[in-house]
Amino acid sequence: MIGHIMLIIKKIFEKREITALAFLVILFLGVGLRNPDFVNAQSIATVLKGSVLYIFLAVGMTFVLLTGGIDVSVGGTLGIAAAVSATMIRGGSNIFMAVAIAMIIGSSIGLINGVGVAIVKVPAIIMTLGMLGIVRGVMIVYTDGKWVENLPDSFKMASQANIAHVNIYFILAIVTTILVQLYFSKARTGKYFAAIGDNLEGAILVGIPAKKMIIIAYVLSGLCASIAGVIFASQVGFVTSNTGVDIEMVAIAACVLGGVSLSGGLGSVVGSSIGALIMTAINSALIFLKVPSFWNKSIQGTLLILIVVSDVIIHKYFEDKARKQRLSARAQCLDKNLKNLKDTDISTESTLVGGNGQ
Amino acid sequence: MSANKSLMKLHEIYKSFGDNAVLKGASLELSEGEIVAIIGGNGAGKSTLMKILMGIYPLDRGEIFIEGEKVNMNSPSVALEKGIYLVPQEPLLFPNMTVEENVVIGFNENKNVLSGKLRELIKQLGWDISLSRKAATLSIAEQQLVEILRGLLREAKILILDEPTSTLTFNEIQSFFELMMDLKKKGIGMLYITHRLTEVFEVASHVVILRDGEITVSGPVANFTKEMLIKGLMPDNMVHAKTNSEVCTVDYTKQPVLKLDALTGYGFSDVSFSVYEGEILGLAGVVGSGRTELAEAIFGKGEVLSGDIELLGKSIRGLDTNEIVEKGLNYVPEDRHLNGIFAMADVRLNTTSSILSRLSKVFINRKQEKAVTQKYIDDFRIKVTGQDQTLKSLSGGNQQKVVIGRTLSSNPKVIILDEPTRGIDAGARGDVYKIIYQLKKLGLAILLISSDFEEINELADRAEVMYHGTNNVVLSKAEITLDALTQAAFGC
Repeated sequence: MIGHIMLIIKKIFEKREITALAFLVILFLGVGLRNPDFVNAQSIATVLKGSVLYIFLAVGMTFVLLTGGIDVSVGGTLGIAAAVSATMIRGGSNIFMAVAIAMIIGSSIGLINGVGVAIVKVPAIIMTLGMLGIVRGVMIVYTDGKWVENLPDSFKMASQANIAHVNIYFILAIVTTILVQLYFSKARTGKYFAAIGDNLEGAILVGIPAKKMIIIAYVLSGLCASIAGVIFASQVGFVTSNTGVDIEMVAIAACVLGGVSLSGGLGSVVGSSIGALIMTAINSALIFLKVPSFWNKSIQGTLLILIVVSDVIIHKYFEDKARKQRLSARAQCLDKNLKNLKDTDISTESTLVGGNGQ
Repeated sequence: MSANKSLMKLHEIYKSFGDNAVLKGASLELSEGEIVAIIGGNGAGKSTLMKILMGIYPLDRGEIFIEGEKVNMNSPSVALEKGIYLVPQEPLLFPNMTVEENVVIGFNENKNVLSGKLRELIKQLGWDISLSRKAATLSIAEQQLVEILRGLLREAKILILDEPTSTLTFNEIQSFFELMMDLKKKGIGMLYITHRLTEVFEVASHVVILRDGEITVSGPVANFTKEMLIKGLMPDNMVHAKTNSEVCTVDYTKQPVLKLDALTGYGFSDVSFSVYEGEILGLAGVVGSGRTELAEAIFGKGEVLSGDIELLGKSIRGLDTNEIVEKGLNYVPEDRHLNGIFAMADVRLNTTSSILSRLSKVFINRKQEKAVTQKYIDDFRIKVTGQDQTLKSLSGGNQQKVVIGRTLSSNPKVIILDEPTRGIDAGARGDVYKIIYQLKKLGLAILLISSDFEEINELADRAEVMYHGTNNVVLSKAEITLDALTQAAFGC
């Protein structure tokens, strides 16, 4: 009975991209029933626009989670990338130059995280938590604790540009998601990240350069967070010293919601991106439902824990079952084995003794 | 060895982990179409040797030749490139990936080409395995097949099979052997690690015995009998005389302290035996024979499917571990680092941690705690600078003494010792043996689980030998010899 229920739950969890998408649709319809304004074009456009930075964070986070790690420093990286790029652009430097510098900063933070986790073997949560603290501190020093405001209109207006009525940043996020998804499913090294999180020993045995891939995962996470930072600066138009605070929770929740396992080895970026859309939609729905926005984080947190707990329960259930099966297989073949082996014993022995006698 | 082309040669391989020399100049050769069976007791260095060949461990000294060419085997990718593939004992698949993804991962070739090759290979082998299934849904036997597919698709010329049959059922074993014969015909060389001597005669062309890090016996299988192999497995200058010449003083007319009645669970089945007051019952067997699973089930940590466990006539089946300890049964686990000790805490806390509830109402009675700790330090001659020394800084032998002390502080009637001297040096081993004798004299019933047959030989009043999850052989004190233990444990 329990096995049956677990199997059904497992099936639901297996096709997580589809389940998550269904959840998103239900969310829109459900909230739409209460407040029809939620499902009009403008409101949907707002959600899409708002989801862009979460999508970037979630894409980067997916690499790290697949390897069985976690990166809680992304909020800090986003903040410092936003502050640096905004300051440079306000100072009149080339936008592309500013974006490049932000990306270098993000990648460097990721590189340090990756080396710490893969080579020095610091637990991922500690390494990236420490990094979060460092980066936050550096950001405050860099901005002198002040807001970076008065960004040029051209930079701000870029976030309003549309292609075929769809926000250009959102298109960028979707293209990135699709490209990364293609990489994961088609490229030779695409499965390496998940393989490492799935079974590290096995990954090493088939010749996967585990340390290198783990470092790359953190670099990509940092890189994606820095892109999210630039997008934040462009969308919001100013950067406060609180930019990016608590955003790592949203990113992790988005991935988990989209079916990425926190124990590694399982998940897709499409799922993570849908998860990011859901997180944004919930945020927006609360406004339409006139729920005070301070409930937002509690709801995100609850969702995160609920999904992780069910993931763990399912995982443990099937792992236990597999272990028991394995142990039983050992014991069960005994009767048969013993009989058969005894028979062969006699025959082998007699031939051997005969052979020796010659 | 044979006229066939030499595939691989290991020359005088040395490897130590810390002070522990695992391999002391092991040499091994494998030619085309040969199946070399490697046998040896636990800790003989079989796995280490294979991991060195696979580039997982670096070697300290020695040379590896592949097809006559010296190779610096410094990573698994080098080994894979040279056509070596290790099929590990427990398959190391990626449970969340499909069979096909599991097989083709790590290749440099085009995916479609690989996919075609894989399908061709499966057709050739006549296997019925769905490529789109997730690895997590496969049986162990099927997982093993996937591991072998991996090796074959890589066009491995050397397959290392590490106890492949230990998780297979009888029918699966037969088809596995047929597969091995097929591969042999194709000229693939196989190193076949096993614990089962019958299998050596069934499939292998050559046999080597690895003992204490050295190859002590090697040659074509036809030159050996099973008795010769058993002899070869045992240490040199074997002393049959037991050091404890005391007459067995166990009173078997009394009620047994611990009695198992057809106990069945995961990893063991239909196990029945009794342990009496003042008796050391040895539970021998090779790793994986189900002894630890059995002990954990007795201790309330593993599931019991059927049968009963009686402590002084009363069933303790289904009780929680703390209730079982309270009733008078305690367990010293196999891996003390994993399950036994609080490494960062001091000797005192480690000794008294299982009886803190007795020493305290709200706050701990320090005086009593100190007294209990001092008692065991004195009794067992534990070498410490003080009660507040951290356990981590003690030697393995002294750590083990602390763990045994803690177990005793709960005043048990039965104590289960799981591999009490593994990883302990010879001097401390003697001390632990003395402690076990002390416990026997105190009238405790002792269940001694050990893969070290000399230990069973020296200590046990009777021995039960586990093979494949059940105790198929009982040996009385007079019958216990290394010979008899080895035979029974290897299922002969």
